[in-house]
Amino acid sequence: MLNKKRTAVSMLALAIVLSACSTQSNKTESVDRDSSAASAESGQSAASGKKVELRMSWWGSDERHEKTKRAIELFESKNSGITITGEYSGFDGYMDKLNTQIAAGNAPDLIQLGGNIKEYVDKNALLDLTPYVGATIKLDDFNRSLVESATFDGKLFGVSLGVSSSALLYNASMFEKAGVALPAGDWTYEDLKQKAIEISHNLGKGNYGVYDLSGDPGTLASYLGANGQELYRDGARHFEKEDIVRWFAMWSDMRKEGAVVPADVQVASPPSAVDKSLVVKGQVAIQSASASQIGGFQELTTDKLGLLMYPSGPAGSGMIPPIPSQYITAYEGTKHKEEVAKFIDFMVNDPEAGAILGSTRGVPASGQIRDALTATATPTDKVLFDYISHVSDTAKPTVYQQFPLDNEYNKLLQLTSEKIAFDAKSIDSAVDEFMTEFDKLLAKATAK
Amino acid sequence: MQKYKAYLAGYMFLLPWLIGFFCLYLSPIVASLYLSFTNYDLLTSPHWIGLANYKSMFTDDYRMLDSIKVTFNYVLLSVPFKLAVALGLAILLNQGVRFLGLYRTIYYIPSLLGGSVAISVLWKQVFDKEGIFNAGLRYFGINGPNWIADPNYAIYSLAGLSVWQFGAVMIIFLAGIKQIPNDLYEAATVDGAGVIRKFARITLPLLTPVIFFNLTITLIQAFQTFTKAYIISNGSGGPINSTLLYSLYLYIKGFTFLEMGYASAMAWLLLVIIGAVTGLLFLTSRYWVFYSDGRD
Repeated sequence: MLNKKRTAVSMLALAIVLSACSTQSNKTESVDRDSSAASAESGQSAASGKKVELRMSWWGSDERHEKTKRAIELFESKNSGITITGEYSGFDGYMDKLNTQIAAGNAPDLIQLGGNIKEYVDKNALLDLTPYVGATIKLDDFNRSLVESATFDGKLFGVSLGVSSSALLYNASMFEKAGVALPAGDWTYEDLKQKAIEISHNLGKGNYGVYDLSGDPGTLASYLGANGQELYRDGARHFEKEDIVRWFAMWSDMRKEGAVVPADVQVASPPSAVDKSLVVKGQVAIQSASASQIGGFQELTTDKLGLLMYPSGPAGSGMIPPIPSQYITAYEGTKHKEEVAKFIDFMVNDPEAGAILGSTRGVPASGQIRDALTATATPTDKVLFDYISHVSDTAKPTVYQQFPLDNEYNKLLQLTSEKIAFDAKSIDSAVDEFMTEFDKLLAKATAK
Repeated sequence: MQKYKAYLAGYMFLLPWLIGFFCLYLSPIVASLYLSFTNYDLLTSPHWIGLANYKSMFTDDYRMLDSIKVTFNYVLLSVPFKLAVALGLAILLNQGVRFLGLYRTIYYIPSLLGGSVAISVLWKQVFDKEGIFNAGLRYFGINGPNWIADPNYAIYSLAGLSVWQFGAVMIIFLAGIKQIPNDLYEAATVDGAGVIRKFARITLPLLTPVIFFNLTITLIQAFQTFTKAYIISNGSGGPINSTLLYSLYLYIKGFTFLEMGYASAMAWLLLVIIGAVTGLLFLTSRYWVFYSDGRD
């Protein structure tokens, strides 16, 4: 008797506890998603003075944060009732956080994404923007290829925030101080080596010609291209072990000459972090970067910075045509689709917003904004614009294919590079390991 | 009926704890066991793949072995170091000096901060090539390496950082020392024993149950260390995997590579490892832990 009661009470308590675990918010959200009239409703609610709160996430440098925040403020002042909270950070950990937010169902309404946009489309995390194109989001004077790059199965999932290209970012003042002439448009890896050696010798201890780019995916891709090969296309690799051995041997030679940043210094001051880059500090002449980053770098130094294409090889230039640097996308679970679309349009088409944002995410995609910006370009903007058009003219008209498990490949390349740079392994055995693991990644990617 | 009400009241009082236990502990644990048998990319629903995750962990993961080695290295370095510092300070703070309470508070403060992001960031600055630590070494004519960015030394800086969290361990030691009857020391003094002999023959043996407790707790914590390695290596576990602690690798697998099923399997392996090591410790304890109530 007593036992029965006890069991009943425990069951009751358990039931209460378990029901408390399930979240209410999920249910309401899915209802919203299902109703096709949701957009019209939310539009009305904004008009009737109801407050709409949106969240937007992006990564970048301080320069980009400031400009984006100012653009948001402008949007808020023009659209009373809508407030947008920015969630911004550097690139490190950005995707990790976003993945967690999406998995938990509370991702920001507006999300900045990069070349990995397809990954998120495949996972149904992004809102189909097609219904808003024309009425709310105007893409008439956008370059077709930019729109297509974010179109999957005939649906648009992102709007390009600008065009950029990978580049070598150099410190012109250091070249000048070292008395070394700036490289010409089509230079070779031999030139890079010579110049790096000269700069580090002429400027003395603690100064280096170039960052160790042996672990930089963009530089390696361009090197393979310059040798008539490719990292990846259509599910297969298009290079051999000896190509990678040659690549690492070239960097080892430069390292022995003292022309390359030593491994431990590079780990402590990685070029990817704007505030740690030794190019900004005037101690290293060349690093790899996305061209659109030049604004963020230039803001931190009085030295003059510039952009260079990667060196050419036997097969000519290995540059690939400029690609959209970033997209603005909307979260599939957003409750305010109309407002989100409105902001997307504002960000890429509003002339005032265009003036504020400038080229912080590359050359703007809208022709009108681009023309306005060219007219009022700062010297840094001009460097970027010239560089992008230069790359467009030079690059072979290939369609770039990103390696499917890009994240893992990048880590593998970095690890291989570090093993060699820190002398933990010989080039030959490190590259053996690289090839084995690369093929495993390839198999894993095709299995998916 | 009366009884029923009494039970209900009891459960109502327990409810906050029960909710916490079921929602925050039990259900994630059960979920992670299930996920460890699936292929789950965090964004789409998981699908069952049986033991494949466990299999590839042992046969097909070139970073796994590195990660386990680094973790054991870290545990072996940091645990004895931390316990020794905590014990030493506990003994110091048991002396009859003025303002003892103040000293105990001051020495406890770092522990409140020890596991924090801020201290890890500070640590990074201190042990940088041009950091304060090397500046100190240079004063003695030693040219220090880059303690954090050099794969040969990075693990030592991590282990050094763990010592910051000695506070709780120290308090437990202090309580244990206070339990030792003073007449033992008096008798030893009468017999002419010096400070060292008193420590070795009285303090240490009578403290073994406390040492055992602290050792177990510290060991388990050390196996689970994450924050320090994440901050110091910018989330990469580098250079050359030298700071790729197990939990950090698990995080990278789960949140960077989106292999949450695999990461869950890793979590269960860690549980087994910790269980095995702790079990081993309990087995050895009968040979070195001395309970003064005559239990052994």
